[in-house]
Amino acid sequence: MENILNIFIRSIFIDNMVFAFFFGMCSFIAVSKSVKTAMGLGIAVTFVMLVTVPLNWLLNEYVLSGGALSWISPELKSVDLSFLSFIIFIAVIASLVQLVEMVVEKFAPALYNQLGIFLPLIAVNCAILGGSLFMQERGYANIGEATAFGLGSGIGWWLAIIMMAAIREKIAYSNVPPALKGAGITFILTGLMGIAFMTFLGIQL
Amino acid sequence: MSEKEKEPMFSAKIWKLLTSPFNQNNPITVQILGICSALAVTAKLKPAFVMALSVTIVTACSSFIISLIRKSIPSRIRIIVQLVVVAALVILVDQVLKAFVYDVSKQLSVFVGLIITNCIIMGRIEAFALGNKPWASFVDGAGNGLGYGMILIILGFFRELLGAGTLWGYQVIPDSWYVANGGFYSNNGLMLLPPMALICVGIIIWIQRSRNKSLIEK
Amino acid sequence: MNKNSNTYIIGYSAVMVIVVAAVLSFASLSLQSRQNDNVRIEKMNDILRSIGEGEGADSAPDKAKYVKEEYDKYIVESYAVNTKGEKVEGVDAFNLLINLKAEYDKPEADRVLPVFVSRSDEGVIHYILPVWGAGLWGPIWGYIALDVDWNTIYGVVFDHKSETPGLGAEITMAEFRDQFKEKKIYEESSMVAISVLKGVGASAGNIHAVDAISGGTITSRGVETMLKDCLTDYSAYMNKERAALSAPVAAQTDESEIPADSLTINK
Repeated sequence: MENILNIFIRSIFIDNMVFAFFFGMCSFIAVSKSVKTAMGLGIAVTFVMLVTVPLNWLLNEYVLSGGALSWISPELKSVDLSFLSFIIFIAVIASLVQLVEMVVEKFAPALYNQLGIFLPLIAVNCAILGGSLFMQERGYANIGEATAFGLGSGIGWWLAIIMMAAIREKIAYSNVPPALKGAGITFILTGLMGIAFMTFLGIQL
Repeated sequence: MSEKEKEPMFSAKIWKLLTSPFNQNNPITVQILGICSALAVTAKLKPAFVMALSVTIVTACSSFIISLIRKSIPSRIRIIVQLVVVAALVILVDQVLKAFVYDVSKQLSVFVGLIITNCIIMGRIEAFALGNKPWASFVDGAGNGLGYGMILIILGFFRELLGAGTLWGYQVIPDSWYVANGGFYSNNGLMLLPPMALICVGIIIWIQRSRNKSLIEK
Repeated sequence: MNKNSNTYIIGYSAVMVIVVAAVLSFASLSLQSRQNDNVRIEKMNDILRSIGEGEGADSAPDKAKYVKEEYDKYIVESYAVNTKGEKVEGVDAFNLLINLKAEYDKPEADRVLPVFVSRSDEGVIHYILPVWGAGLWGPIWGYIALDVDWNTIYGVVFDHKSETPGLGAEITMAEFRDQFKEKKIYEESSMVAISVLKGVGASAGNIHAVDAISGGTITSRGVETMLKDCLTDYSAYMNKERAALSAPVAAQTDESEIPADSLTINK
């Protein structure tokens, strides 16, 4: 239990998807112009990560990694399908996003109008695939850890984009050098926020 | 697809496809695409170079393949087909890296897999390859990959030089310069930390847009 | 033909899946042995580096061949032990090493850990223990070469998956590793491993400690924890060996007396 909490906190602050690994930068920069839209995308990303990371963990554990198929029959012990993991993970993510889109459209049209435009963007958001790949690489021991990691990473990304959007709403009134306007200053701000987040490294978990 | 006249291999149009991504159409600094994960490997020049090469190969080949089969793809599963083609190419690149340049592939770790979600690739497929001939798509993909790689290599060069005093793993700052040996110089460890990659991109954008005013955002 | 009919889409997907699967499986199978070889060669080279051999690997014209030859020359024996201190028969130590993480995922009582024995050109024996732990961003691992007293460190090698270059990643550098030489992992009869202390020169005169990397605190702490945890798993076996060393005559009366610094290996 302690371990799960640990992973959760770590993935929000220390291993923050945006500041430590630059995951999901494209949409981070494109959609952080207003807090409201940033909020929508943040929720969508968090939700999709919360579902895809544990799902991919199950696939990795019982289908993909070396010897994983031995639960079907011991003869399959030597099968190692891990080379297929990229393609399986992205397929799971793309189909889940599609599914979420259809469900939300049917049952909560109001939410769909808010989120709808972001959902297709999520399939190619590196934060989502990155979450699954890190889950595989770090080898989380059970589904609880994987879920905590998925949720924490999603919240970390959400937090980052909201903070960025809040700053950008203010900076619109500031006198930024013309050549830095827009993308340039956003990059530099993200870097500075990243340095600020590095102070969390000192937390001993 | 009505124009029937045969284009030369490197017509002016094709040439422009290849070169424009280096400056006024650069994927990172102008289109703001594909910044994602690849920046994380720019702390050293060598992985940055391998990453640049991998992205270029995947972008060019996936544009080429999608353009070849563009007329047969059912539009309803278009995105999935594109993802499958890109993912398959990335797996190939990953397997080849693991087999032939093992130490670099270790440094790139999950970032090779993340080429799949690099927005440049999907962006070029959607914007160009779906409506153009294979050869033009290939060149367009290669041009964008190279323009992208150029930024990675610039970043890798400065971050490794200023942060570790080495290039490609070889020491280039003379040992006698270092404070430890009685000199005046010490490495700027900050350059190696992830946030500095972003700040460096910001500075590159600044320089580029100061020189080319038409790119300034309003 | 209607490209958006269900039949077409299903047929299209099926063909695509088969083609992609075939291409990928072919690539994976044809490159697999090469990839596995790379992993083995790397591990062999790390083992060699912990005893100060195999340094020419990067300049050798055929790295794989060079490393294999050196490995066969210096590594004379390998076996596996469990955490109760017993030797485990019928286990290939090198395969254990490749899946070392799997062993550390098991509960402590079930772990089976490899030990490698090297003999230098002059006939000096060293024991090499692999260690595995977590750094700041990902796993770190290494090899500890001990003298025959199972106490003095002869050399260490560390490597990491994704520590910060220039900071945590410095654990692979000779400046950090060389500090470990001649340090002792035992205080009297209890295993204390090696502490990694913060501050330049903090460890001066301390035979159980080294200096941490400045700016790489968490990775340094990871090294300390890794050494402590992993050496603890070996400690039952090491205690046994040490007991045998301090009473060699009583324990091995049927063999000729063996001086502690020139143990020969019964292959």
